[in-house]
Amino acid sequence: MNQQHSSHEAWGTRIGLILAMAGNAVGLGNFLRFPTQAANNGGGSFMITYFIALLLLGIPLMWIEWGIGRHAGAYRKGHVPGMFATLWKHPAAKYVGVIGLVIPLVVLVYYTYIESWTLAYTFFSITKNYWGITTQAGMSDYLSAYQGVNDPTLTHLGLPFLFFAITLAINIWVVSRGISGGIERLARIGMPILFLFAAVLAVVVLFLPAQPGIGTTAADGLEFIYRPDFSGLGSAGVWLASAGQIFFTLSVGMGTLQAYASYLGKKDDILLSGMATAATNETAEVILGGTIAIPAAVVFFGVTGATQIAASGSFNLGFATMPVVFQQLPLGNVLGFMWFSLLFFAGITSSVAMATPIIAFFREEFKIRRETVAMALGVVVLLFGCLHIRYLGQGFLDEWDYWGGTFGLSLFAVVEVVIFMWIFSPERAWNSIHQGADIQLPRFVKFVMTFVTPAYLIVLFLWWGYSEAWPILTMAQNPEGEPYALDAIPVVMWSRAIMLGMAGVFAFFVWLAWKRNGYDDRAGFEEVNVHTSSKF
Amino acid sequence: MALPSLVFMLGSWAFVLSLTAWSFRRVLKKH
Repeated sequence: MNQQHSSHEAWGTRIGLILAMAGNAVGLGNFLRFPTQAANNGGGSFMITYFIALLLLGIPLMWIEWGIGRHAGAYRKGHVPGMFATLWKHPAAKYVGVIGLVIPLVVLVYYTYIESWTLAYTFFSITKNYWGITTQAGMSDYLSAYQGVNDPTLTHLGLPFLFFAITLAINIWVVSRGISGGIERLARIGMPILFLFAAVLAVVVLFLPAQPGIGTTAADGLEFIYRPDFSGLGSAGVWLASAGQIFFTLSVGMGTLQAYASYLGKKDDILLSGMATAATNETAEVILGGTIAIPAAVVFFGVTGATQIAASGSFNLGFATMPVVFQQLPLGNVLGFMWFSLLFFAGITSSVAMATPIIAFFREEFKIRRETVAMALGVVVLLFGCLHIRYLGQGFLDEWDYWGGTFGLSLFAVVEVVIFMWIFSPERAWNSIHQGADIQLPRFVKFVMTFVTPAYLIVLFLWWGYSEAWPILTMAQNPEGEPYALDAIPVVMWSRAIMLGMAGVFAFFVWLAWKRNGYDDRAGFEEVNVHTSSKF
Repeated sequence: MALPSLVFMLGSWAFVLSLTAWSFRRVLKKH
């Protein structure tokens, strides 16, 4: 039994909370992954399965995660081991919750590194650094040269390290300022800029004239994304792809939405705010994300070229195709600056969320000052980040991205839904999410949350486990679907060992925290007097 | 742009925008 008044924090305003939550959800995937997934999976019919997944999987899971977080907030637990322990009075609960510390740390490290590329390209765009490289192959080489993939010596790794260190420093500075003073303030500045820049770029793309020798327009690009191929509705692959996109775009399965929600009061609404957050993310994804990169690619490379670009992956689209496009446009350096700035803001408003549950754990359980934890976390991320920078070419990042950022998220989501909806019980979960709610959900939503959402998640998890995780685990193929290179195998083994080691270290800290604070797993935690913001 | 594609695009946009407008109108009313 313990109370942690010293770690008390709260959101300043409801709009600030929604913007921060939306900032957490809106990431690089909204602008790069969504349009390529839609174009590759049946266009218009993908959108049907996508919206069904939003209603049956995405929004219910959003409410479940907000519900878990807000419930645990009443016991001043902003981290997943503590959250699971409040829902499931069993000694194993806290150790199962370790997954909610490992995943955000794993993703935080490589995501901050990728975010640093967007910061670097913001700078390269405004200074016209890559001007004159007018082919996609040339821009791919430019990216590889920047990353030092082909020559990972100190001379070539200095620049990516510098941008990584700057990006990390900004992240750490924001989280060290706290929930209201740091994260909420960042969202209130970053999200409007992101939407403004995205809207300007979308309008520019929509009015792009057809290029000589190509002849296609932005309307052809939109046609490329939305052309309905109804055969897709009978394909399991399309249903799984759209459910996967909904899953990744909402940033569920990481412990971050829960951590943010833990700073809400017991009587604060979560249902309407959760819905507003999901809707904001969808506006950024469907309307803005779908109107920029792929339509621009179709204008400059035709439908055949765009098909190849979409098939080659979202990074090519963002970092190779778009810079070529910007060079053909008046004020292209400003548009390039806007594109990479919006990706940077989309990234940083997500990465600060990943730091939050880890900081909450050490603050709440070990009474360490926020600034100290943030600084220590920065050092850890810097050290692991160096491994990503050095071994990028050997697939170090791909492994962490797969096991942490793909497989891990789906595993976590299955576990949390089972704990909240089944172990905690459907009735208590339903009552809990309705506490202080501004909207009343129809009763059938309870059925959806109890059976349909878990079924969706379990099918996704089993499908990915069978089709991807097993072949990758046994090294039959890498996360790119290609054979592992011989020189990559030791690096891959080390990258996996480090993630496992991380889980072991976090499990030790959880054990230590429970022992040190004298928690009784069966008795649970003592509820503390929780604020209810008058601004809500 | 072919009509079916246009219908799917505008339908998707309308769905997303109405969800956003509805939820924010409720939030701001409470605010």
